Amino acid sequence: SIDVLMSSEKEEDPDVIPEDSSLLTLRIRKKDLERREETIIVDRACRQETLTYEMESHAAGKRPDNPTDLIEEGELLLTLNVFYPVIFQKHKDHKPYQTVLVLGSQKLTELRDSISCVSDLQIGGEFSSQPDQAPEHISKDLYKSAFFYFEGIFYNDKRYPECRDLSRTIIEWSESHDRGYENLQAVKMEDYVFNDLSLKIGFPYLYCHQGNCEHIVIITDIRLIHHDDCLDRNLYPLLIKKHWLCTRKCFVCKMYTARWVTNRDSLAPQDPCFFCDVCFRMLHYDAEGNKLGEFLAYPYVDPGIFN
Amino acid sequence: MSAVPGLKEDCEELLGAFQQADTVRFERFAELWRERRFHTVFYGRIRALERNKITKKTLELAQQYFLPPYSFQIRVGALYLLYGLYNAQLCQPKQKIRIALKDWPEIQKFQQDLLDSQHYDAAYIFRRLKLARAFYFTAMPKLLTYRTKKKIEENYFKEEFKDPSNRVNSLITNDVLEELLNIHDHYQKMKCVISADKSQPDKALSLIKDDFVVNLKDITLEHQQWQQNRMKLFRNAKETDETENKKKEGTLLESEGSERANALARIKYRSYSAVVEASKSRRHRQVQLESSEAGSSCGKSPSRSEKSSRRPQPARRRVSSEVRGEMQVAKETVTRHIGMPVITEENSDE
Repeated sequence: SIDVLMSSEKEEDPDVIPEDSSLLTLRIRKKDLERREETIIVDRACRQETLTYEMESHAAGKRPDNPTDLIEEGELLLTLNVFYPVIFQKHKDHKPYQTVLVLGSQKLTELRDSISCVSDLQIGGEFSSQPDQAPEHISKDLYKSAFFYFEGIFYNDKRYPECRDLSRTIIEWSESHDRGYENLQAVKMEDYVFNDLSLKIGFPYLYCHQGNCEHIVIITDIRLIHHDDCLDRNLYPLLIKKHWLCTRKCFVCKMYTARWVTNRDSLAPQDPCFFCDVCFRMLHYDAEGNKLGEFLAYPYVDPGIFN
Repeated sequence: MSAVPGLKEDCEELLGAFQQADTVRFERFAELWRERRFHTVFYGRIRALERNKITKKTLELAQQYFLPPYSFQIRVGALYLLYGLYNAQLCQPKQKIRIALKDWPEIQKFQQDLLDSQHYDAAYIFRRLKLARAFYFTAMPKLLTYRTKKKIEENYFKEEFKDPSNRVNSLITNDVLEELLNIHDHYQKMKCVISADKSQPDKALSLIKDDFVVNLKDITLEHQQWQQNRMKLFRNAKETDETENKKKEGTLLESEGSERANALARIKYRSYSAVVEASKSRRHRQVQLESSEAGSSCGKSPSRSEKSSRRPQPARRRVSSEVRGEMQVAKETVTRHIGMPVITEENSDE
């Protein structure tokens, strides 16, 4: 009966703002709507908006098939912003980031695996002479080391034997002279879960991988898990927001995403120049596969590949 | 996060009306709500993403009124408002109310107060919200965002909604007074014991005022009375017409402020009237009396005049504490002003 007092009695259309509203909010909104109607021809959600909304809400309310995967009450949910390492001028006011939801009982390694960075997919090497032999190994497989830095402690990924301690250099540097950083320690990432850490909200921390690809990580929110959240443990760390980066298209066809980049190319109009696979081969190699002209070619992975 | 335009005014208007009604009954609030048809605040063709954002901001705004330092009535009003907004929202699944961990003890206390004072309808509403799982239990009250803001918005509390700030009262509480009284008695007894005449202390030992504790209590009571009167006047002034409002407030506050300002001006005039004549080598830059009126914004020319305009403020604050006499204040202001005659390049504002 209390509810009835609040809501409207008759049928109302929530899309229509009532004419004689005494609320300032509605008057302002009405003016805004009228302006939009006059200036915008088709008022519809664009792709980016749909994507953002979908990402935010796709996992809400999900329950797992397997009851052992159900998250219990009292579990903490952290919201982390992981910033991209790209530095474009147009991003100087708001750096692009992805937002990840992580459970308190998850290990740091699970977060590390879920961060998708384009530098992980790079393939090193010059392949103009043997374009078909671009190796399958991506940098993610070759350079497996990574670390997180939270509150003076470096958490190194030591799951594989190839992983090196990247933080050792930093610790040695800080200990060599009295630079005012006390007590930097290095520990293993796989031994820790988020519940063990003491963190500051809003303070920038670091995630470093590939030796020199650094991401700033900021925790924006910690709260208890809620009935309406996604309660399937397997879906965490959950990506809820991602910045949309425009992909670079092939210079020739302008349709496909670039997969090759050439330097010092006598056949190309600009240096560097981007090509999709098909156009690249058509331009630079003849029917037998011989190299035409002088150029250096590298496989290219576009940052927008995760769109 | 930029605010939803107009929302703060609407909420404050509703809460203000509720405060005027001088009751904490839910029926009254519901009437006010229905009058304004507040549930339509989420109407208008808003797409899903935007709607989520707006609802979140609305709940966050309403939640601020739910916590101290707002007065009890406003907090009950905010509870009803939260209930109404939570149920009237159009998002599916519903957006939740964020409450920080540090605020929960106060809210528990608030709920206990409600039960003790038998405001069962408010307690019921709170229970309903909790059962409907309307709260997020978070570490920080506001969700952080990382866009560089063009200007930092200051969160200001509406004066009337606040309980009168009890800083003096919280310092000089009953306990403190009692203890002071005890110590005072003890001290007097000690003095009696060590002096020749056992019934009263030596004349040479009387270093403090005997009735100092009583005076302190009187002064604090006076202060409290003054504050309440001021709040009442403030509120009464708001009830009359808009324009008249501003004038009245201005004159009321000015009358108190101007008394002090006049006193200060008199003191400064006395100290300033003896101005050193510049030596012959600096004849072209005679020292001029710059009349800095307390409260007026003097100082269009740089740093020197800024310093002088800042000086009346700290002096004024000391006066407002009203614990020391005026002569002491005069002494302090005079000692600060000596030795810094202001050299004005041109006649700024005389």
